[in-house]
Amino acid sequence: MSTRTTTRTTLRAQGFSCPSCVAKIEKQVGRLDGVDSVTVHFASARIEIEHDAERASVDDLVAAVAKAGYTATPA
Amino acid sequence: MTTVSTWTRNRWTVPGVSGLLVLASFVAQRFGGATVGDVLMVAAAVVAGAPVVVKAVRAALVRVVSIDLLVSVAAIGAVLVGNYWEAAAVTFLFAVGHALETATLDRTRSALAELVALAPDVAVVLRDGEQEEVPTRDVRTGETVLVKNGAKVPVDGVVVGGSGALDEASITGESMPVEKADGDQVFAGTVAVSGFLQVRATGVGSDTTLARIIHRVEEAQDAKARTQAFMDRFAAWYTPGTIVLAVVVGLLTGDVVLALTLLVIGCPGALVISIPVSIVAGIGRGARDGVLIKGGEHLETSARISAVALDKTGTLTEGRPSLTDVVALAPGVTQDEVLAVAARAEAGSEHPLARAVLDAARRAGLAVPGLPSSTEPVPGKGIVATVDGARIVVGNLALLAAEGVDGAAAHLVVDELAAAGRTPMVVARDGVVLGVVGVADRVRADAAEMVRRLHTAGVRNVVMLTGDQQRVADAVAAQVGINEVRAGLLPEGKLEAVAALQRDGYVVAMVGDGVNDAPALATADVGIAMGAGTGVALETADIALMRDDLLMIPQAVSLARRTVRTMRQNIVVALVTVATLLAGVLVGGVTMAVGMLVHEASVLIVIANAVRLLRRPREARAARLTHVKDLADARS
Repeated sequence: MSTRTTTRTTLRAQGFSCPSCVAKIEKQVGRLDGVDSVTVHFASARIEIEHDAERASVDDLVAAVAKAGYTATPA
Repeated sequence: MTTVSTWTRNRWTVPGVSGLLVLASFVAQRFGGATVGDVLMVAAAVVAGAPVVVKAVRAALVRVVSIDLLVSVAAIGAVLVGNYWEAAAVTFLFAVGHALETATLDRTRSALAELVALAPDVAVVLRDGEQEEVPTRDVRTGETVLVKNGAKVPVDGVVVGGSGALDEASITGESMPVEKADGDQVFAGTVAVSGFLQVRATGVGSDTTLARIIHRVEEAQDAKARTQAFMDRFAAWYTPGTIVLAVVVGLLTGDVVLALTLLVIGCPGALVISIPVSIVAGIGRGARDGVLIKGGEHLETSARISAVALDKTGTLTEGRPSLTDVVALAPGVTQDEVLAVAARAEAGSEHPLARAVLDAARRAGLAVPGLPSSTEPVPGKGIVATVDGARIVVGNLALLAAEGVDGAAAHLVVDELAAAGRTPMVVARDGVVLGVVGVADRVRADAAEMVRRLHTAGVRNVVMLTGDQQRVADAVAAQVGINEVRAGLLPEGKLEAVAALQRDGYVVAMVGDGVNDAPALATADVGIAMGAGTGVALETADIALMRDDLLMIPQAVSLARRTVRTMRQNIVVALVTVATLLAGVLVGGVTMAVGMLVHEASVLIVIANAVRLLRRPREARAARLTHVKDLADARS
């Protein structure tokens, strides 16, 4: 285990209408520095992210989702 | 500035402008302005197509081939070959369809959104004797929060002061408000409809029942059904397959329009969403009614339930004995006297049967002054007590014989009561039989209705499992209309009974409380936990019923069946659409615009079909409305 802390953040997104949104968001958010893993659930429109809050804040995550074209709010 | 941004953010702006441009183009062409008409048509395609192209590029940047890319290529291609009307039609229809999709898709998720919205953002906490308004997430366990009339309860907790009524529909699905006073448990997300409560927080944040329900519903909606794996595989193959086909056809025939049309129908829309939307809607519908189903696969299994096994005690019956009969046998002795004498004798006993007699005496308004001067319980037989100097015996015939009392007068009544599944207790005073009282674990009022509805819902076999003796079990079964009884079972015997039903080819649902019958619940194809408002059952049961209400069992079975039926209908719509479009393009007659129209229509049909699941059956809706109106009247 490394010394840095991993935070688990869940975002709820709007406007999910096709499963290709899933791959888009996973890749867009996954590129962020400090993000370890991204899981996008199409059915319940949730985005689960494991990240280092020091390097990638929740606001950064929301911005990354916005860049993929979707609005998200932290749950 | 704000008006412009809201304008651009409104989902109908793009299709609206695009549609107007298409109309303007038709008008221009009608009056001979061919060039003007073409320009307007291209403008319409650009307005509707620009956002699509932007999305396609975004997806392509992260190496995802999206539907947007297919539509973009098709539309741009159509413009290049001078097919302006087709380009405008495809992008316009896609924009309209997409706006409708987002609007309706969010409706299928509305049940979850409602649950999430239940948790209030702020709580009023007592700190150092002062009321302080803090964000809900900052409340700590052990602190006291205040819940005023009309406010939502922010935490799980126990009432420590005040009193009031809470609407707990959000948690249990129960539409009638529940009175709360000192020591009662309250749940986050319920609403105070009267009074004023002080609540000591026992669960906050993600540790509330509401948070656990939300988590469970989300997990359930994302859990993939078996059928979905097939559809996903098919969709994964279909889109690239159609693209390859479009390229090959284009190269072989040199017919660019045909190739572009194939691209348009390569969008896998209804294929990929047909199952998830049904499951999301079905599970959401259940959550609103207090029926929590663990996921798509459990929905599919629940739809095939053909046998339901129920524990007798506590499920079909109230779970505690109560007085059913009082028979006076001695001349000049009334029923009340028999009951009063029995109650006096039992006043010092802690036995469950004694509780039944005492409760009945209290309800009948009979005085039970003080305790007997001596009480001598005889295990398995009854009790001998001395009351006001008289020696009272309450118990079975064996106890009477042991006490040297002639019980002949009571034989007939004792046999009758025992045959009806009740426990008869003979009451004698100073060697004389006064009468007989009968005690039984009473059958719940709606047990018979539940069995009837289970049969209506398509369950072939309803089986009672009990550790009790056969005669008692048969009497209860006869009352509720159950035809198969397995009595005298030890706890592991219940598991064996479930397994035996499975060997006979039944898909078995087992109903229990989720604690004592855990092994049998786990063995059954579907484990249903009743009254699972708290604790382990909520996490573990395949179906958790939030209320201790028997009629929720058939409701859950029907919901599962409806959801699976919707799923199947949607799969048929999706596959038929794909097949028809492919055939239509290859045979001829399906143009780009028609292809897009059919494709969008199929997606919307699939979504609308799923949204139907969210609607309440009409009579239930009416009942709820009048109830809400009553509440409003009561408050004003």
